[in-house]
This record gives sequence, structure tokens and C-alpha cells, in this order.
Amino acid sequence: MSRAETVDAEHPRIWAVVLQREVRDLWTGGRALVMCLAFSLLLSVIAYLVATNTDLNFLEQRESVSLTLQVATAVGALLALLVAGDAISGERERGTLETLLLTPAPRGQIATGKLLAALTLWLASFAVTVPYVWRLGSGVGIVMEALAVGLVVGTLLAIFLASLGILISVFSNSNRFSLSLSLFVLLALFAPSQLPSSAEQGWAGNLLMRFNPVTAGEHFVGRIVVNGHSWSEDISWLVSPVIAAVVFAALVPLAAGRFISLRGGVSG
Amino acid sequence: MTPRRHALPLLALAAIALALATGAHAASSPAGFSATVDRTRISTELGRTFVFRSTIANEGAAADDLIAHLNIVSLRSDVYVDPEDWSTHRTRYLGSLAAGGSRTITWRLKAVNSGAFDVYVAVLPRSGHARRPVTGPVVAVAVAGRKTLNAGGILSVALGVPAVLGVLAVGLKLRRRRA
Repeated sequence: MSRAETVDAEHPRIWAVVLQREVRDLWTGGRALVMCLAFSLLLSVIAYLVATNTDLNFLEQRESVSLTLQVATAVGALLALLVAGDAISGERERGTLETLLLTPAPRGQIATGKLLAALTLWLASFAVTVPYVWRLGSGVGIVMEALAVGLVVGTLLAIFLASLGILISVFSNSNRFSLSLSLFVLLALFAPSQLPSSAEQGWAGNLLMRFNPVTAGEHFVGRIVVNGHSWSEDISWLVSPVIAAVVFAALVPLAAGRFISLRGGVSG
Repeated sequence: MTPRRHALPLLALAAIALALATGAHAASSPAGFSATVDRTRISTELGRTFVFRSTIANEGAAADDLIAHLNIVSLRSDVYVDPEDWSTHRTRYLGSLAAGGSRTITWRLKAVNSGAFDVYVAVLPRSGHARRPVTGPVVAVAVAGRKTLNAGGILSVALGVPAVLGVLAVGLKLRRRRA
């Protein structure tokens, strides 16, 4: 039995200890709260603009709920990605990774704990979103449905993006490189959502929208909230977000177990 | 000569010009067809779905395949109408109607603007020949506004949530400083 396997057997919940410490650092250190404050300011500006639009009518009100929800899921997942992108490369840069690696904690469990800690930021972002969606959507009776679809899609995207951030962080030598690459990937994933709707009609455009977990998830939110479709009607749009979340979350402990080292594989 | 006395010859000239212009695009209408609706007046509220039926009857001989198309017009110039928002299924391909036969179509629409609107169904042959479409009677739709959003309500949330988070962040900072 290897040393790591022995530790796994002796301390099956080391990831929980890492999670507890990371959450404490993140939240009592004030960093997460400041991020949530900035997030709420952004949502306030967007919600106020759509609510005071004098041309707002019934259909556009559903669109305003969808817009607020899509911004919330995207920015909430971005916050999780930022925290995850700092998880390993940040420790490496601050010189605290060595101490962490000297503990008997398996590296896969360290990464899992950090991933779960990053996801608490998404959950907090979602909690901040609730009053906005409740206010905007109560007139058209779509609050519960909008919140449910936002929670499901946002959680899938947050798991995918935070896992991606951890993986990038594992291989990055500098924090600057890790965060830059994470943001670049995020922008690249969001870019197709800006394509004109006509570009989505062809098979290539449709495939791109479905293959990309971010655009597929946002599309699903729009279909449920704006078009009033049932979940089963458009469930195929959730395939790529589910696959991305499961695959990338599974890759985190595997890649971390093999590749976390004092020097990252890629330097900035 | 008063303006009213000028108006009559002008109107006559306009009528002649219109007749000539219409004649220039000579289009024979699909003879023997009629389009009727089950109601001519509908009152509803913003966001509600309403339904009416139109019946296309062939009162002549068997004819080409037909297409029925739904149109919506706002009677107020300041209300923009996107018919696709009102109905996602505006064009129906009816096939051919036997002599004396008829077909009833159900139109389901959602009132997405408030105001006064006219809705009508146009029937035209699928053959693509230059024929004048047959239109059914206008259905006058009155959509009453419905206030669904309280801008004042969102203001309390838009100011309240950041304020609460700001107080928490400042409190945390002060606590850490004291510690």
C-alpha cells in the first residue's frame, strides 16, 4: 500500500479539513465578502435598469428576469473560477505550498477541499441573486422556476469553471499566469453567446452552442424563463454542462494527485 | 373656391389614379373563396393568451393548395408590434380544399403589448401566381395594460442588498482590526 493510500484510509475526510480552513480564510479574511459586495452592486445596476425601462412589457419582463439570472450565473461562476485559479498557484507563489505538501494530506484531497471552498462563493452569489429575481419575477409568476433553473445551471457551470480553474492553477508556475489564462478561457467560452441569433441557426452554430457548456446552459435558462418551455422539452441543452461538470470535477483529484509540485509545469 | 370645393375633383383624380395603379398590377383573386372568423371583438389583458377561429370555405370549384397567414396591426403609431411575439405559428399550409369544403383554423395569440390592435387572416394560393389574397374580417383586439413590475420595489432591493453586504464587510474589517 502506498503512503498516499495509507493516509487516505487513515484520514478519509482530509478534504473536509481543507475545506473548513479554506472557507474560514476566504470568508473571515473578507475577500469573499468584498467579491459578493461587488457582485451585488453589479446586479443592482442591471436590475434597476431593466425595472425602470418605461417600455418594459410582459414579454420583456420575462427577458429581464432571464438577463439578471444569466448575469448572476455567469458572474457567480466567474467568482468561483477566480478563487479556484488562485488555489494552488497562489499557495505556490506565497511560499505556503511547501508546508501544505509536507503534511500527510493526499494532494487529491487538498485540491478537492479547495474546489469545494471555491464553490461556496457561487452559493453565496446565488443567495445574493434571490431577492433580485424575486422582485423582478413576482409580477409574472416565474420566481420559483427561474430560481430553480438558475441554481441548477449555475451550479453545473460553477463546478465546471472552478474545476477548470484548479486544473490551470495546478500547472501554472505563477498566479498571474493562472488567473490570466482562466479569464481568457472564460471569455472564450462566453464569446459565442454574443453571436447573432441567425448564426445559431445553422448546424455548425447549433453544434457550437450545444457543445459549449456555458452557452448551452445560458440557452437553457432563456428557454425556460423567457419562452416558458418545460424542462423536459429542452433537457438536451443540459447535456454538455452536466458532462463538463462531472468530467472536470473528476479530473481535479486525479490531476492534483499526480501533478501538484513545488514548481508548476507552465511558467508565466 | 373653398378648400372643400377643391377636395372633390382631387378625390376623383386620386380614385382614378388608384384604379389605374391597381389595374397595372392586375391580380385575379382566388374566386369562390371566403374567410370568416368566429368573433370580431376581443378584450384581454397584457400577458394573457386568447384564441379565435377562422374558417376558410371553398364556394367554387376545387382549387390550388392554400396558405393562411395571420397578421397583427397596431392602431396606435407609438406601439411597435412584432407579430412573431404574438404568435409563433402564424402561417398554416392548408392543402387543397374540395369544392364546397371548408377548414377551420384555431389561432392562439399572446397579448404582448397593451393598446388597440386589428388582427386579420389572409388566404392566398400556394401556386405563387399573382393573385390577390382573400382576407377575412378584422378582429378588433383591445389589450388592457397590467402593471406587473414595481420599480420602487426593485430600488429597495438594489440599495438594500449592497448596503447589508457593505455593513457586514466593514464590521468584519473592524473585528479583524480589533483582534
